[in-house]
Amino acid sequence: MTAVMLALLVGVLFACGAYLVLQRGQIKLILGLGLFTHAVNLALFGAGVLTRGAPPIVPEEVEGVPQGADALFANYADPLPQALILTAIVISFGVTAFIVALVYRRDALTGSDLAPGELATVVNTADPFAEFTLRMKLPDAADDYDILQYELDEVYDHPEAEREVARE
Amino acid sequence: MSLHPTVITLPVAIPLLLGAVGMFLQFVQLPHRLQVQQTLVGVGVVVNLAVALLLLIFVLDRGPVAYQMGLWMPPFGITVYLDALSAIMLVMVGLLSALIFPFALATIDSERAQLGFFPMMLFLLMGANGAFLTGDLFNLYVFYEVMLMASFVLLTIGGTPSQLNGGIRYVVLNLVGSMMLLLAAGVSYGTLGTLNMAHIAVRMNDAPYLVQAIIAGLLLIAFGAKAAVFPVFFWLPSSYHTPHPVVTALFSGVLTKVGMYSMFRVFPLFFPWLLNSWQPLLMAIAGLTMVVGVLGAFAQPTIRRLLSFHIISQIGYMVMGLAVAMTPNPYGIGFGLALAILFLVHNQIVKTALLLGGGAIELEMGTGKLNELGGLVHLKPLQATVFFIAAFSLAGFPPTSGFIGKLGLLEVTFSSGQWVIAGVSVFVSLLTTMSMIRLWQYIFWGKMHRKPLAMRQQTAPNYSWMTVAPVIVLVVLSLALGLAAQSALNVVQTAANQAIDRAAYVKTVGPMLTEQDLRIAPPEWGLTNALPATELAGR
Repeated sequence: MTAVMLALLVGVLFACGAYLVLQRGQIKLILGLGLFTHAVNLALFGAGVLTRGAPPIVPEEVEGVPQGADALFANYADPLPQALILTAIVISFGVTAFIVALVYRRDALTGSDLAPGELATVVNTADPFAEFTLRMKLPDAADDYDILQYELDEVYDHPEAEREVARE
Repeated sequence: MSLHPTVITLPVAIPLLLGAVGMFLQFVQLPHRLQVQQTLVGVGVVVNLAVALLLLIFVLDRGPVAYQMGLWMPPFGITVYLDALSAIMLVMVGLLSALIFPFALATIDSERAQLGFFPMMLFLLMGANGAFLTGDLFNLYVFYEVMLMASFVLLTIGGTPSQLNGGIRYVVLNLVGSMMLLLAAGVSYGTLGTLNMAHIAVRMNDAPYLVQAIIAGLLLIAFGAKAAVFPVFFWLPSSYHTPHPVVTALFSGVLTKVGMYSMFRVFPLFFPWLLNSWQPLLMAIAGLTMVVGVLGAFAQPTIRRLLSFHIISQIGYMVMGLAVAMTPNPYGIGFGLALAILFLVHNQIVKTALLLGGGAIELEMGTGKLNELGGLVHLKPLQATVFFIAAFSLAGFPPTSGFIGKLGLLEVTFSSGQWVIAGVSVFVSLLTTMSMIRLWQYIFWGKMHRKPLAMRQQTAPNYSWMTVAPVIVLVVLSLALGLAAQSALNVVQTAANQAIDRAAYVKTVGPMLTEQDLRIAPPEWGLTNALPATELAGR
């Protein structure tokens, strides 16, 4: 029963995570990834045999006697999934923190939580003023072409020098 | 020659130690901090390459070798496993990082260097080496994450808006891919009760088809996402053009190829029969990857965007080689895998040469837009020549390595009876040639639209021979690989034979299995303890 509940929970978390990741907007993206990682961690947890109230120590009477897995797991909790989950949590925590930092930095640079290229693809939202609002959010974007150009501009090392050349 | 088995952990230990010391130097006030750091990293990449070469020679001579970390009995400890396939990958990645290092030294600006660019190169190297060496599925996931964390930093270091955009897409899609790998490890532990790759291979023999299919599917998605195959390649073209050109070259030589290596390792080891029964799926993936990649390249306006799409297109050839790896053909089982490995090596060399050559031009001209370049052949005849050879090696012209790789792959797919994919790959080669002609022509031929930065500005740097020399070395390597094709073929044939020899893998890793567990393959495959062909066909 516990295993079925766990499987259902993992499925629901995956579905919610996928829905959120596919939404526009960075906060939803981060939350969706968080749900994804939780779902995978729970799936790992369910991968071990779920024994309640038993220590992760092989009982003495079972040791050496071929009684089969059922007898073993009656008084023994498998510690390996916890160890795996701990590693996975640390890694996903680090990556999520990195994404949050990236999003924050981009927000600070462009003054918007939308990627510049995304403006060109905003269509069919329920809000008729959505595109207008989005345009207002971006500071120096006159039209879609400008935004595309801005994405295409890959100038290294000497952006100031480049601008001087352009002015000439 | 004899080596203590702990030596095979050195490709992880050396970059880890030197990288950690290098990172530590970030927080220490020293008069020549940057120089000390760069020296450390230079020593690291050179020593790593030397160790990798030593290991390759040893493995070709003596066969695979395994080491148990902490001397825990398998399957309880972490296994480190080295065979010719992993040794070839170690040498190639070591070689590329050793060649990219001088380029980085010449072109990386001081801000990026101050932020710790060079130690991060070593961490990337450590993650890739670990993924090549590990014999444990969960450990593979951990090394993937080590590699990816280093790559996240390298991709976004500098922090321009386009880098942050590309970085977010890259991080998100790779995180989802890693989750699939983690899930595969979880399913493997839950159903087969083990994470050790040799142990998984043994227990997979008697596993129900559903379990095999779930693990194989998850691994295909996970490694496919890293290798950028057809439905899951979108992170690559939206991020690879954004960082410094050195980073793009390093990624194209290391990251996607680690994904391909993992496929080469895992599929013949865990479920070789699935390579046959899933062949239509793999062929579809290979064909669509090739076609979508090369067609995407035609629409691209800058050097590195164009080359990024060609990375995807070339991955399709390797998947094609893997798909015919277990099909009986006149050259023997595993010949397809041997050629896929050869093509992988060729592609690492040539793609890095193109991205370094193109990157040098982009840095010197201040732009990578094709319609603003042109006429550079008079100004830079040497760069034009090496870029030309590399471009036509990618397209597959003799006498370069691309010709051997593509000819061999065509031969093996034809003789395995896969006419459709062979036709597709010929067509894609034609399109690649057209795309390469377009690229070379836009950069080097015609009228010069703008002069290099150094000729317009007093302050702009004039890059030295250090940006040209690595490209020359790589192009010479490509030519050598094409001219000494027989020796190269012998080496990759050994690697492929070791990779498909499941019995040898299991025996090398540990004695946790009885003899009848080692039922591996039908008799005509020429492996030990064979399973009857009828039983295999039933899978």
